[in-house]
Amino acid sequence: MRAKTSSIRRQLLIMTLIVLTVINGVAIWTADLYANRAAKLSYDRLIHGAALQIAENINLLDHKVMVDLPVSAFETLALAPEDRAYYSVTSEKGILLTGYEDLPNASHAVKKDRSSQENSAEPVYFDSVYRGEDVRFITLTKRLIESDNSEVVHVTIGQTILARKQLADEMGGLVIQFLITFFCITLGLLMFGIWRVLRPLKSLRRAIEQRSSTELTPLNTDVPSEIRPLLETVNFFMSQLNMTLERLKRFTSEAAHQLRTPLAGVNLQAQNALVEQDEFKRQQQLRDIIKSSELLTDTVNHLLEEATLTHRMRSQAFHPVQLDVLTKDVCRSLVVWALESEVEIEYLGQISASCLGDDVALTQMLRNIIENAVKYSPKQSVVQVNLYREQELLCLTVADHGNGISDEDKQHVFERFYRSKHNHTVGTGIGLSIAKEVAEHHGARLMLADNQPHGLLIEVLFEANGETV
Amino acid sequence: MKPLLLSLLLLVSLCPIANAEQSNTLPSEESNPVELNIWGAANFDAIEPLLKAYQAQFPEITIVYVEHSSLELFNRVLSLRPADKKPDVLMSPAMDLQFKLVNDGYAKPYQSEVTDALPNWAKWRDEAFGFTFEPIVMVINQDILGHRAMPESREALLSLIREQSPLVQGKIGLSDIETVGLGYLTWFHDSQQSRTYGRLLEAFGSHHAQLYPNSSAMLQALLRGEIFIAYNVLGSYAFEWSQTYPWIKTVMPTDYTSAVMRTAFIFREAKNLQQAQSFIDFLLSDDGQTVLAQASSLIPLSENAVGPNSLLEIRRKPHGIFRPIVFGLPLLVQTDQAKRALLLEEWRHAMRTAP
Repeated sequence: MRAKTSSIRRQLLIMTLIVLTVINGVAIWTADLYANRAAKLSYDRLIHGAALQIAENINLLDHKVMVDLPVSAFETLALAPEDRAYYSVTSEKGILLTGYEDLPNASHAVKKDRSSQENSAEPVYFDSVYRGEDVRFITLTKRLIESDNSEVVHVTIGQTILARKQLADEMGGLVIQFLITFFCITLGLLMFGIWRVLRPLKSLRRAIEQRSSTELTPLNTDVPSEIRPLLETVNFFMSQLNMTLERLKRFTSEAAHQLRTPLAGVNLQAQNALVEQDEFKRQQQLRDIIKSSELLTDTVNHLLEEATLTHRMRSQAFHPVQLDVLTKDVCRSLVVWALESEVEIEYLGQISASCLGDDVALTQMLRNIIENAVKYSPKQSVVQVNLYREQELLCLTVADHGNGISDEDKQHVFERFYRSKHNHTVGTGIGLSIAKEVAEHHGARLMLADNQPHGLLIEVLFEANGETV
Repeated sequence: MKPLLLSLLLLVSLCPIANAEQSNTLPSEESNPVELNIWGAANFDAIEPLLKAYQAQFPEITIVYVEHSSLELFNRVLSLRPADKKPDVLMSPAMDLQFKLVNDGYAKPYQSEVTDALPNWAKWRDEAFGFTFEPIVMVINQDILGHRAMPESREALLSLIREQSPLVQGKIGLSDIETVGLGYLTWFHDSQQSRTYGRLLEAFGSHHAQLYPNSSAMLQALLRGEIFIAYNVLGSYAFEWSQTYPWIKTVMPTDYTSAVMRTAFIFREAKNLQQAQSFIDFLLSDDGQTVLAQASSLIPLSENAVGPNSLLEIRRKPHGIFRPIVFGLPLLVQTDQAKRALLLEEWRHAMRTAP
């Protein structure tokens, strides 16, 4: 399907050609029919006229039929100058009065007609082959009346069909000439029209071609309304691409910065430890190094996680996820780690709920939020995780009893690598921003609130899809 | 019906053939001659220079020229049997009979550069070709005029006959239209053209016109003093004679001058087709036409031909409106049996009304 590129221009041209050819074909066919008919009619009238002139010069005189052929009748026939002509005058019984005695079938054609039209002078036309040529014949019947007598005579005239053919060819030829001219002009105009109509597409293509690969500003080419949606789609796509690129750029520079600074710190600490004479101080310095490297590990893990998640979110389709089971699993996996910091994790959720989503991403989100809560909880405190339904929304909340976040910081915590200046705990500053991205990817809202009497309450509000129980 | 008619025609044609048919041969001097059979109505004397000129170009050809009267020629063609010797080329001034033959399919079409150059009125369907243009004239022995002027028109001729009635009694010569094709053709043409036709017929009848089998015979009779006036004579012969015998005057009537065209066509069953075609080409070519203009008494059709007998020379002589007989379908009327019967009846009736 893709291998066969279809060209609009070619299709239009082919359609146009087909339509034009059909129209012209029909026109030529009709013209030919018409030309033949017209030629036949005109020359039929010619021989009819000649027959009438002959008939007029046949008279009954003393019971004897007198035929006095008028020259004018033959001058009429000579209007078809290249055609042979034959004639005969016969009596009712078929006896030849004058002319050619072996003309074909005249009496037969007349007989057929005579039953219906006894006295009419309606001519009978027929085609026949005579002396090896196609000949058009006319037979005219005339009743001659004398005072006490009447007689019927038949006048037959035959004429070869050369002039008819010539006339038909001439008329047909004219029409065909006209049609060919018409065909060429129409085709030319249509090709010009197609070129005009398709020109915006070409200019659009050229506008895209001429851009450098990094230029992603919207295209401003002037295009007709039919192509505008396409242009808008292209522009929308480019702005998306631009955003992604921007984010990637920022992320890379930030990540580089975030990794370079702690690495330099570790390096410095290690050099200090190397030259430190005091055993106790060196121990302290080594512990600092371990702490710093752990933080570095966390940072690297988060960055990798984010990269993985970003990739997942781009590529993975949603599946139904048991949200309650997932939350419980995450809590369970973190309980032991939390206890090391003497913090308890409490799951308060009663309902069973599911939503469409990516379980790995959701797990990561929840993990980050709970880890964050545990990290900022004072010792001997409880982190409460709850899942409940409120109106149309599915609420997942994580509350801690730490110091909470000032309103000023709330605006910035989701920025990568943002660290509050009041915050003295170790952390990477990526966790929450990843959580927020995952939530938004799932169409959920991640909101920060103050816990009572103090602490932070993180709410993730899913749109309930009615699939929950 | 048809065999009967044919045999009748044969009978009619056989009677005059006995004395009229004349065969002349111009043998080729080469070892393997090819024959070309020409049937014509022209006197052998008149046509001989042309034939000889043709033979000079094609020495391998033996020419057989058979001379008929124009009506016999027609009847011979109609009555040809498969075993008979067929002509290759037919030439005759009887345009109606020639046309009838061509119309009925006796001719074989031929087209060449030479025939294409011919004007349209001088050919038909690339089958028949005109090669001479001959005015029909009256010839008068000027001795009978006395102090009168030479009659230049038919009207003047009629007054001459009226005034000299006793003198011209039995001294008018006409072609016998019953047996002479050309005579019938020109007389029919007169019946169509002239308002004087009726009076001419009456005058000729009442003065016991003599009937002759051809123009030459009529001219000879004129020379012998048998007749004083010859009407409807072929101009080609008449001009020649009046040049030789100055007391015979040739007049092209000024009211109108009929003109006939000798036509030639290739016979449908011509055995020597190639020779026939080359003969037609020669006949119509400037060479052939010039031979006619210079060496024969026939008047060539082509205006390119130069000579004492050329068309230009003829046009220089005093004449009326040329009314050439058109080579076309109207000639069929002349060959119509009924029409012919009507005309002949009129003719016979007039010729019998002797006082």
